Amino acid sequence: MASVELRNLSKSYGDVEVLRDINLIVEDGEFVVFVGPSGCGKSTLLRMIAGLEEITAGECLIGGQRANELSPKKRNIAMVFQSYALYPQMTVAENMGFSLRLEKRSRSEIQRKVRTAAEVLKLEALLDRKPGQLSGGQRQRVAIGRAIVRNPRVFLLDEPLSNLDAALRAETRVEITALHQRMDTTMIYVTHDQVEAMTMADRIVVLNGGVIEQVGSAMELYNTPASIFVAGFIGSPKMNFIKGRFAESAGAGTIGIRPEHFQIRNEAGDWTGEVAIVEQLGHDTILHVRVPDAGILTVSLDGQHGQRVGDQVHLSPISELIHRFDNQGRPLPTRN
Amino acid sequence: MVGRYLLVFFLGAIAIVMASPLILTVFSSLKPTTELANPPWYPPFDVTFEHYFRVWTEGKFNRYFLNTVIISTVDAIVMIGIASLAAYALVFMKYPGKALIQALFLVGLMIPVTAIILPLYSIVRSVGLVNTHLGVIFSDLALAVSVFVFMFSSYFASVPKALHEAAKIDGATEFQIYWRVVMPIAKPAVVTTALLEFLWSWNDLLLRLLLLPSDKMRTLSVGLLNFQGIMTRDVTGLSSGTVIIALPVVLLFLVFQRHFVRGMTQGAVK
Ligand SMILES: Nc1ncnc2c1ncn2[C@@H]1O[C@H](COP(=O)(O)OP(=O)(O)OP(=O)(O)O)[C@@H](O)[C@H]1O
Ligand SMILES: [Mg+2]
Repeated sequence: MASVELRNLSKSYGDVEVLRDINLIVEDGEFVVFVGPSGCGKSTLLRMIAGLEEITAGECLIGGQRANELSPKKRNIAMVFQSYALYPQMTVAENMGFSLRLEKRSRSEIQRKVRTAAEVLKLEALLDRKPGQLSGGQRQRVAIGRAIVRNPRVFLLDEPLSNLDAALRAETRVEITALHQRMDTTMIYVTHDQVEAMTMADRIVVLNGGVIEQVGSAMELYNTPASIFVAGFIGSPKMNFIKGRFAESAGAGTIGIRPEHFQIRNEAGDWTGEVAIVEQLGHDTILHVRVPDAGILTVSLDGQHGQRVGDQVHLSPISELIHRFDNQGRPLPTRN
Repeated sequence: MVGRYLLVFFLGAIAIVMASPLILTVFSSLKPTTELANPPWYPPFDVTFEHYFRVWTEGKFNRYFLNTVIISTVDAIVMIGIASLAAYALVFMKYPGKALIQALFLVGLMIPVTAIILPLYSIVRSVGLVNTHLGVIFSDLALAVSVFVFMFSSYFASVPKALHEAAKIDGATEFQIYWRVVMPIAKPAVVTTALLEFLWSWNDLLLRLLLLPSDKMRTLSVGLLNFQGIMTRDVTGLSSGTVIIALPVVLLFLVFQRHFVRGMTQGAVK
């Protein structure tokens, strides 16, 4: 177990700067998720911590020690790759025990540790198979198993669930959270899926265009986003952003209203519009409402509702939950 | 139905034309001297192996065969090692000057042997390796290494980079990754290299003629020339010698055919 500290970390490929001035402390035992859109530099940042990518400027400390010049081996980290990267010619047991074998551990010790990890991940029956004979989900478990047998100081995962189907993804998400609680190891997890980030992380790091937009717990990001970008990225369905007349009357460049922060009223008001699309999900109903001067707004209502396409609805945002942003996309203090 | 017969007839005719030199060679190697007056396409009526014995003992093919096997086997094995290590360094490792090294291999790929045969000879002579198998082996390796480096490179390029990185994180050194992760999955490339280099080395005449003047160092391809003087031609000896040379190569290809084809097409499809 160890903390990870990044100080003014930057990364350039030639003239192209892909990460700029990253400062972050991941506490010992913490579960931190890097989240952001494709190409924002999540993987690059993780790979710099792993030692697979050179650090252009700044410092990376693992367990309080400068790690910039350490090889991946010396950093004592484990990593799960998006493609799993299992050794095709080795059996599951050999894959999981490879790092221990390189450390010249005794055969019995390797066997014991592989068996323990296999039990945790329910892989006992598959130990003699080759990766080619496994399903995607099973391969993914082996990749995690290979990482945990070593008992690393830091556990790095780069989009480990992106090749799984939705059901398996939700299941494995819970298992990884449970695994973290049991092992108590520092974990850094990369994803572009904000649902994964919000459900798993102790703290979320939102990256955009090579810089950190905001660091905080899921609820901090949801309640007090530090920028329009974070406001739009966190939460599903996405926050509505409205410019023009409505924003001006609120004294802002843009206002943001989460779909779940609209209520339906009976009497007509400012926010009257026509239902364009209805999505029935059972436990909630999502309406897409065309409101003059505001565009199409997404409205999420608890439970089941009878609106149909073409109906007139009168919306009313919960005024204390409206987010106000200036023209630079920075939040303005909430008005009471 | 008629079309089908026509097709079989047509293909059969082509096959016979293609195979005829081989068939005629085998025919004349098995004919007693008395039947030599017959046209070459007559099969042997009274099959005899006397020419094979003659070539093997009097023609010293026993000695030449051993020499050739030694040179070709060492060539093939060492080539696998050198080419795969070089390709590994080119594909998986980062270091300054890599582009230059790559360019040099490319140059090696483009220069024809005949263009550098004389300087090569003087180099081999200056290090005192003329008339040694070692001199031939070094020359063979140097002349063909580019080809096999490129073959291994294109094979390695199809190996996911993440595999190399995963092994690094698992704590493997570059050599351990080469030996335990990359080479075990490069078997098709290994088989192709072994076969091709063995074949080239086995069949090569020019270098051996030049670098191995003494009779007891000679290889089969050079030994075959003994049966063809300026004025004389020992047709039966030439034929049975040719069959002796061709047989091991044909057998190797029959055994490894499937691996071989896979190795040639790999990298192209992936
Ligand atoms: N070897 C490289 N050379 C040049 N640019 C690179 C290299 N590797 C990555 N980049 C660039 O760095 C940026 C960040 O890449 P990175 O892989 O970290 O993105 P990511 O956030 O992981 O995206 P994704 O969610 O698609 O995996 C991208 O714009 C990419 O084009
Ligand atoms: Mg990525």
